[in-house]
Amino acid sequence: MAGVSLSRWTMAYFASALLALVVAECLMVAGYGYPAVPIAAPETLVLVHVVAIGWLSLLMCGALFQFVPVLVARPLHSNSLPLPTLGCLVAGLVALLFAFLKMAGQIDLDLAYFPLAATLLAAGFTLVLWNLGRTLWASRPLTLPARFVAVGLLSVGATAILGIAFALILGGVSTNAHLLDVAALGLPIHVIAGLGGWLTFTAIGVSYRLLAMFMLAPELDGPSTRGALYLGTAALGVAIVGGVATICFDGNLTITLSAAGLLGLCAIALYGRDTVHLYRARKRRKIELNSRMAILALASLAASAILIVVLLGLGVLGRHIGAVVFLVSFGWLSGLGLSKLYKIVAFLTWLECYGPVIGKTPTPRVQDLVVESRATKWFALYFLGVWMATVALLLDGPLAFRVSTGAMLIATSGIIVQLVRSRSLCDVKAGLRLPEGARRPRFLFSSAQHA
Amino acid sequence: MTTTYVDVDVRPILRAGGEPFEQIMEAVNVLKPGEGLRLFATFKPTPLLHVLGSKGFTHVSKELDGGEWEVVFSPSGTPPTNEASVGTAAHNDTLWPEPIKNLDNRELDPPEPMVKILATAETMQPGEVLAALLRREPLFLFPELAKRGHSWRGGFEADGKTYKVLVRIGIPKGSAA
Repeated sequence: MAGVSLSRWTMAYFASALLALVVAECLMVAGYGYPAVPIAAPETLVLVHVVAIGWLSLLMCGALFQFVPVLVARPLHSNSLPLPTLGCLVAGLVALLFAFLKMAGQIDLDLAYFPLAATLLAAGFTLVLWNLGRTLWASRPLTLPARFVAVGLLSVGATAILGIAFALILGGVSTNAHLLDVAALGLPIHVIAGLGGWLTFTAIGVSYRLLAMFMLAPELDGPSTRGALYLGTAALGVAIVGGVATICFDGNLTITLSAAGLLGLCAIALYGRDTVHLYRARKRRKIELNSRMAILALASLAASAILIVVLLGLGVLGRHIGAVVFLVSFGWLSGLGLSKLYKIVAFLTWLECYGPVIGKTPTPRVQDLVVESRATKWFALYFLGVWMATVALLLDGPLAFRVSTGAMLIATSGIIVQLVRSRSLCDVKAGLRLPEGARRPRFLFSSAQHA
Repeated sequence: MTTTYVDVDVRPILRAGGEPFEQIMEAVNVLKPGEGLRLFATFKPTPLLHVLGSKGFTHVSKELDGGEWEVVFSPSGTPPTNEASVGTAAHNDTLWPEPIKNLDNRELDPPEPMVKILATAETMQPGEVLAALLRREPLFLFPELAKRGHSWRGGFEADGKTYKVLVRIGIPKGSAA
């Protein structure tokens, strides 16, 4: 019961992640990648991996290094490994982007980018799994939210293994027949494992705890939460293990993925029921901006699920899969990520700066580090931009898509300015800002929270 | 059963102005059952005694030449549980006095429960005990308590929804050797 101290490098993860988000939005505004070129074009792959690894995975890793210890009431296995981990992930991402650019003929430098990217990303994700896995393993039996995270971590392992298999084939390192089959047909499995397993399932697990914590709602561990865990895990098992087996034994992948999809939709329905319950059962009547904006992210997840069903019914899911992936990535995952970042950055900064002097001298409240009225408009613009861009993709309007992503870029920049102000204590009243004994937090890392 | 000890010498880190807490906790986390830790430091690491006490270690401190300290942490034999742990193992078998302050922080927005406990603790005398009811285990509070030299005990009540923490006020750092 030593408690949880501040994760040293979480802010560096958040900063790198936000930089990647801005880069991705700039690319979309510039018309780079889908929908201007096909969904499997190298340019689209550049864009997709800036979002999936650069933005969402780094954001998730930074958050998990801080919050897995909270979920399991145990310190992180290593507080120093996250820095080399970040180095491997960023370097691996850059190598991967160069590999795609070379595929697209946009650079002419002959280096073994794919094997290099595969090695670096494998090292980075292995370190993530090792550090968080050891923390979880030492905390068995796991609480329900931690079990979601455990399944998410298994999924990132599967996503990375599939990605590495693709890289080795594309880089010409391997010509194994099964690997060739997996590389040719396994893309949907890679996407499902990454967006569905790693990012969505982990976000669901963490959100159960954070929503309850921030709204003073009861912790859920009833049948519907367990149902979401088991059905979701089953969906991922069928999609990933079943999917790869289907490819290797020449089965019908559509049937396997449809079965997984059905299980996944049931899991999302149960999660939706749980979140509605959390909001209704909350003791805190007036909720903060982060919880209000999380509603829009959750609505985007629900909209994604409905969209999948409707497009399937119309028989055009394949044609519009880009719009679905966009809404899941930016409405649900990024929307939830930005909402929670707004709270987490302020809270961690407050704890680091004022924790040592609480009670000894007047200190500001966490809410004094932010000005919600200023941030609300940026969040509103962000979600509006995401939904407009999704509609633009569905209606094949590339120009409207670029305009909408422009709105997202402006909104994201506005949110980032608010996060920077919060980290720099800009909005705290001058008299309270730095009482005696308090130290201004460093921008990219946290000083150890102990004597 | 004889206890084997893993040596951790953080004196070079401390002399260089560094912060050895992480290294110590990493060493503690990889200890096998029954293993202890022998720590060498340039000062008596009082807060650490509390932190490792809460992890089930008892300690024996010995001052070395030049104001340096050797502290031997031994596993107490009874691993700490999530239910009711004890802040300072040295006081495991002593009865704590009745709390003189009782806080009900269950309806407060986080992190107000922590703020209220720390602020109340500042008004109390060494040895006095404060009791607080919370809605969850106050994980971010414990490092702050350890830093201030306080010890604590805590656990969920039978209803599984209320966490009760007892904080015993420590002697302020600097006022005693």
